[in-house]
Amino acid sequence: MFMIIRDLYRSDKKFAFGFTVICLLIFLALLSFVSPYDPKLWNVVPKNRPPSLHYILGTNSMGQDIFWNLTHAIKNSVFLGSLTAVISIFIGTFVGLLSGYRGGGLDRFLMSVNDSFIVIPSLPILILISSIIKQHINLILIAFILALFSWPWGGRQVRAIVLGLREREFTYMANFSGMNTFQIILTEHLPFVIPWVMANFINTILWAIGMETTLAIFGLSSLETPTIGTTIYWALQYQALLRGIWWWIFTPVILAILLFVALYTLSVSISNYLDPRTRIQRMRMKEGGSEA
Amino acid sequence: MKKLSIILLFVLMLSLVGQTVTFSQVLPKVPRNETLIVDALHGRLANPKDFNFWKPGVSVGNGAQQMLFDGLWYLDPQTRKVINALAESEPVYENNFKKMTVKLRKGIYWSDGKPFTADDVVFTVDYLMKHPGMSYSDAFNRYVSKVYKKDNYTVVFELKESIPAFHYLFTSIVYSTCYIMPKHVFEKVEDPLKFEFNPPVSLGPYVLKQYDPQGYWWLFERRADWRRTSVGQLYGMPQPKHVLFIYYGPDEKKVMAQAQHQLDLIFDLTPESWEILRKSNPYSRIWYKDFPWAWMDDVRARIMAMNLEKPPFNNKDVRWALTLAVDIVDVVTSGFDGIARVNPLWICATESLLKEYYLPLESWLKDYALEDGFKPWDPTVPDRVVDYAKKRGYTVTGNPREIFGIGWWKYAPDEAEKLLVKNGFKKVGGKWYLPDGTPWKITITAPANFEIHATRLAFAVADQWRKFGIDVNVETVEAGPFWNKWNLGDFEVGSYWQVPATDFYTFVQGYHSRFYKPTGEVATAGNQIRWKNAKLDKLLDDLVNLQPESPKAKAIVTDILKLYVEEMPAPVFIINLKFNSQDHYYWTNFPTSDNSYMAPVWWWGQFKFILPQIKPTGRK
Amino acid sequence: MNLLKRYIIPRLIQYFIVIFIGVTVVFLVPRFTPLDPVVTVLNRMTSYGAQYLDPSAIEKLKETMMELYGLKGSIWEQYLNFWKRLFKGDFGPSLSIFPTPVISIIANSLPWTAGLLVVVAILSWIIGNILGGIAGYYADRRWSKVMSIVAMSIYPIPYYIMALVLLILFAYIFPIFPMVGGYSIGLTPSFSLEFIFNVIKHAFLPALSLILIGIGWWFLSMRSLTSTIVAEDFVTYAEVMGIPSRKILFQYVMRNGLLPQITNLALQIGGIFSGSLITETVFSYPGLGQLLYMAINNGDFNLIMGIAVLSIIGIATSALLIDLLYPLFDPRVRYR
Repeated sequence: MFMIIRDLYRSDKKFAFGFTVICLLIFLALLSFVSPYDPKLWNVVPKNRPPSLHYILGTNSMGQDIFWNLTHAIKNSVFLGSLTAVISIFIGTFVGLLSGYRGGGLDRFLMSVNDSFIVIPSLPILILISSIIKQHINLILIAFILALFSWPWGGRQVRAIVLGLREREFTYMANFSGMNTFQIILTEHLPFVIPWVMANFINTILWAIGMETTLAIFGLSSLETPTIGTTIYWALQYQALLRGIWWWIFTPVILAILLFVALYTLSVSISNYLDPRTRIQRMRMKEGGSEA
Repeated sequence: MKKLSIILLFVLMLSLVGQTVTFSQVLPKVPRNETLIVDALHGRLANPKDFNFWKPGVSVGNGAQQMLFDGLWYLDPQTRKVINALAESEPVYENNFKKMTVKLRKGIYWSDGKPFTADDVVFTVDYLMKHPGMSYSDAFNRYVSKVYKKDNYTVVFELKESIPAFHYLFTSIVYSTCYIMPKHVFEKVEDPLKFEFNPPVSLGPYVLKQYDPQGYWWLFERRADWRRTSVGQLYGMPQPKHVLFIYYGPDEKKVMAQAQHQLDLIFDLTPESWEILRKSNPYSRIWYKDFPWAWMDDVRARIMAMNLEKPPFNNKDVRWALTLAVDIVDVVTSGFDGIARVNPLWICATESLLKEYYLPLESWLKDYALEDGFKPWDPTVPDRVVDYAKKRGYTVTGNPREIFGIGWWKYAPDEAEKLLVKNGFKKVGGKWYLPDGTPWKITITAPANFEIHATRLAFAVADQWRKFGIDVNVETVEAGPFWNKWNLGDFEVGSYWQVPATDFYTFVQGYHSRFYKPTGEVATAGNQIRWKNAKLDKLLDDLVNLQPESPKAKAIVTDILKLYVEEMPAPVFIINLKFNSQDHYYWTNFPTSDNSYMAPVWWWGQFKFILPQIKPTGRK
Repeated sequence: MNLLKRYIIPRLIQYFIVIFIGVTVVFLVPRFTPLDPVVTVLNRMTSYGAQYLDPSAIEKLKETMMELYGLKGSIWEQYLNFWKRLFKGDFGPSLSIFPTPVISIIANSLPWTAGLLVVVAILSWIIGNILGGIAGYYADRRWSKVMSIVAMSIYPIPYYIMALVLLILFAYIFPIFPMVGGYSIGLTPSFSLEFIFNVIKHAFLPALSLILIGIGWWFLSMRSLTSTIVAEDFVTYAEVMGIPSRKILFQYVMRNGLLPQITNLALQIGGIFSGSLITETVFSYPGLGQLLYMAINNGDFNLIMGIAVLSIIGIATSALLIDLLYPLFDPRVRYR
């Protein structure tokens, strides 16, 4: 693993860039653990100060230090995205493997459920669910409800790959040697699917972060937890844009761009590295969050 | 292909820009200086063509009730004066409040030329009684045994029981009232629940000229025969020839619209939006000319509602302790930048009620002591807020006590600690523990997006209690679930605004234990905090037999206010504030602090009486 | 015949199952929440302090309304009723603005949503794919890289901010475009040139904001699609054969790259029925998105169902059509 990263880092400029930015962001996220302020507290620093040596990214109208809140926001947003991705990849891969390998009635059933979740308009349902559970909302819960709508895309892709693998020699071999369904899909098929999963993972992270931002703009996120989305929410609430407190509103926007560019280039170079042809299908999944 | 599309785009852009001059106005077809543009209260309406006010759930704050409908009486909360609109005079009660006679104003006509008479009033009541499911239907069925006309301009109500405040059903005390129906239209309607009353026949000084089928705007035109309306008879000609009610969108857009002089009256802004507007439009003003600008005579005030059935909030000492653990000046300055009027009592500290109830109670408040002798009253609050304002570089003109309130409860964490310790609470390492030894956690329920001041108060109070050593969490909840939780009592502490003002009389009735519903059942009567008190019941029983305007009733109200202080069911913090900005560019003489002739409530039915009093500035 | 039996019929069955499951889920979700449309209406009446009703009167009113709204009875009965009505093409009355039929509310706003979103989807698809294709074919050129960076930076900007900035720039600082509505107040809808221009002018900023984000996405995906196709043998052969590069780009590379993009376009167009909430909010533009949002906030089950069902059918149908029509675009694919 380490060798691969080193190789990629040396040979692929895109990868080098993405990797560096990610490391930088992770470093910032780690800084949040030594943050001098509790991000939930207001009025810990003077309000509305522009960036200066003392407050690197200035302060906001709630009396919070934007830089230190940013470190929390990175941590939380990346956590949210990764958790969503883990859950949704887990379900999607499992459903895809099972459906693709078993075929027949189970396949039809699973794919119908799968497609049902694709055709349900996700944003309204997400708004509905999160407005109902608003009072208990936290990042983990958001990750779960986001995963609810992101797994089917992965499920379809994995199934498509497995359909190809099913007719291959080694599957029959495994079958004759008495392995049961779960053993076969986990030991024989899963390794083939892993590369897809990698790129999917990154795309789901991006989708989840974008979706959380959209929900947050409607106040439907865990507002006291700093994320990219909630930072934007509060900045908009306090009219940072029209009041000229640009350091407040542009910080999360630039962070969102950086995160996207870094993860996107990483995903492109990883899939280039693994197999240039498969990238196409993988990217379709991202499409869901484009307008929101 | 690419070139073509770019060229096409470019041509399109140019042609659009070319038309700019004619189209930058929001109302290209009507002269701007003859039009008043008002912010639509409800925002976008999904069904903009329904004007059947008497059907439950029809929204009429986007112009219909201000322009088209009229009622018998209006009670202006600012001056506390009654406007006799369709009624010529106050009602006359007889037979121990079992009979009410109303004299109607003569010479009033519907916009389609039919005269307004006693028949319309009688018809309205009869018709609503006959159609269950319509608003007011149940109320009339419950109280009215018979309604008839004595002559064309006299209506008599015979009531089933003695009801001294029956006329309140026809008085706009807050927002609206039971407006009168046109008999000649509704008598032909089979099922009023399916009737849209479109085009609406108007009793107000305007008629509907055009509306947006998409629900963003409604344009009204002054009636040629405006003299034949109550507004015309009482105050003269409404000045604007046209009134446009429009929803521009989120706050930032309202600010931009008023800065461009395309929106005269705004319903409410956030403090930050107002700050932008104040700096970008010198003609914008709310109430006070200087700090704190906002209008603070609204008819509700902000409370931290505690569900009195949930321990430890069932304990009076705990509630007082939580009250004393709050530094109100800190709340007001950090949460509201000092723009607030403190409101300690269970009645809104409006301009008129400050005089009527607060000042007479002041000496009692000064002497009031808790059981251990601690005197909680703090009259220094207004001066401390003024100090803060000066430090921020604002000027304050006027009497601080009139602007910021006459006082609140002391910031006394020591006393709060004493009260808690007395009840078995423990403070270890700066953190409070409940008597049973578990850490004390409070969850404050606050509205998510729709009542920004309530949300901010929740966060500011949470901050105070955290500093006091309680683990406080604020949960922000969307409107639907928010009201649900409120009605079901599914909250520990909630940031609500359930404090009466001029409507005290009717408001408090719901707190009678007759209507009490335990937590988990919907409290429709208004007592969502589940306050049950024998003394209160007694006072309410007395109050209900008195006419609201009588001095005796006033004495009972005062007693209820005192009882509330003693019990402190839910601390009241500040009166609701509104940043309902006015643009004095095209129109002026809106009600302001130096000319407070009426409450500046563009969204209430009584707005129609402001229209004749405003003046054009002559700008084109 | 064989084709019909082996491919089309199972696909059709699946189409109906998918719609059935989707609709059922959307039916159940709001009903298992504490949302109560009756309480919401009552709250709306009392929260402005409008109604001085005796508490017991409110109780009775609540009963009457439950009856009227058809909310009495078990969820199962309501569910059956829902399907019965749906087969008659009736979504029932709206609960927040009772008794207006849901279908007429949707019909009132759908043209605006459809008009804006279809145009936007197609325009951004065309522009994004052409630019992306060219940039992917000449992936090593400097301008191609610059374009990618621009697209990568525009696409992740939260849409609300993008829309708001455009609005502040072009409706406030330079008041070129209007701030509100689908057309100017005082105009009557007609097919006159004046009205059409007015509509375009009002739609310009909303469309621009959506197109910018849309182009960003199509550009990025098309660019990477093309850059893989460029590496394939047939492109190399074509180059060796001396076919002009413009011809290679448009007739060989782009054509291949566009195929997967067509599917995505179809899904996007199928999905317009739920509107574009943020666009409508920022630009106060008419459409279904805000209606749906209001319906969610008011617990208006019928309106939520109406819009969601249309959306589900829209996307499922687009997917079905694409599956059935795909072989026409791509001769290599056969019905399987």
